[in-house]
Amino acid sequence: MAGDPAAIDAGFYDELRRHYSEPEIVELGAFIGFNIGYHTFFGTLKFYPMFAPDGRLVDQQESARIYGAAPVSLAGAAA
Amino acid sequence: MSAPLIAPLARADAGDPALAALIERGERLGVPDETFPLILARAPGYAQPLMRALIVSHADGAVDHKLKEIIRILLARRAGDAYFAGLRSKRARDAGLDEATIAAGVDDYERSTRFTEAEKWALRYADNMYLNADAIDAAFYAQLKRHYSEAQIMELGAFIAFHYGMQVFMGTLRAA
Repeated sequence: MAGDPAAIDAGFYDELRRHYSEPEIVELGAFIGFNIGYHTFFGTLKFYPMFAPDGRLVDQQESARIYGAAPVSLAGAAA
Repeated sequence: MSAPLIAPLARADAGDPALAALIERGERLGVPDETFPLILARAPGYAQPLMRALIVSHADGAVDHKLKEIIRILLARRAGDAYFAGLRSKRARDAGLDEATIAAGVDDYERSTRFTEAEKWALRYADNMYLNADAIDAAFYAQLKRHYSEAQIMELGAFIAFHYGMQVFMGTLRAA
């Protein structure tokens, strides 16, 4: 949906229906659409998480140094 | 209109008075018609909050509704969504927004004489958001702040993000 929405055609939805109910497909579609919209908007605002991967509360400058442009997994840090 | 790849529920089956009231508000406004909320109504609990967000972000707030209507149609064209691109706000039309101005806003706002500099910055904001988000940097926001309050910029950004996301989804359903 984000990279090639034209590929999501009737055949694609038929495949989805093999694995998900229509309520689940609508839930996924709305969720994905919402996230496509807001991640890009929030990305332009250049704000960063309040917490470091180790759980410390950090200011925006430190958070920007930690996270930069690359995703950092909180789950990985906690493991 | 062709049948969407996921069919809307029958209106009588949506079974939610609050959603019914939002559908009626959408119909009075002209955006959306019942197709969008009745597709969402297939996912329990989804239709009402998403329909409310769609209408409130478009019709309420401190940014001119006519400008947001042009932005909404511009985004729908960029998203390849014929459904939302084909809908029109009756309130914007009654306030004087015509098809020639919509076409100018969607196709060539930079060279058009129909728009103020403030309106052009709002159109650039929407136009760049999903085609060239890197262009929306600190200098871009500084320009926006010359014309809009921070509250208005958040209103515009949230409106753009929400409507574009729903348009991409509806575009995949080939709802029009």
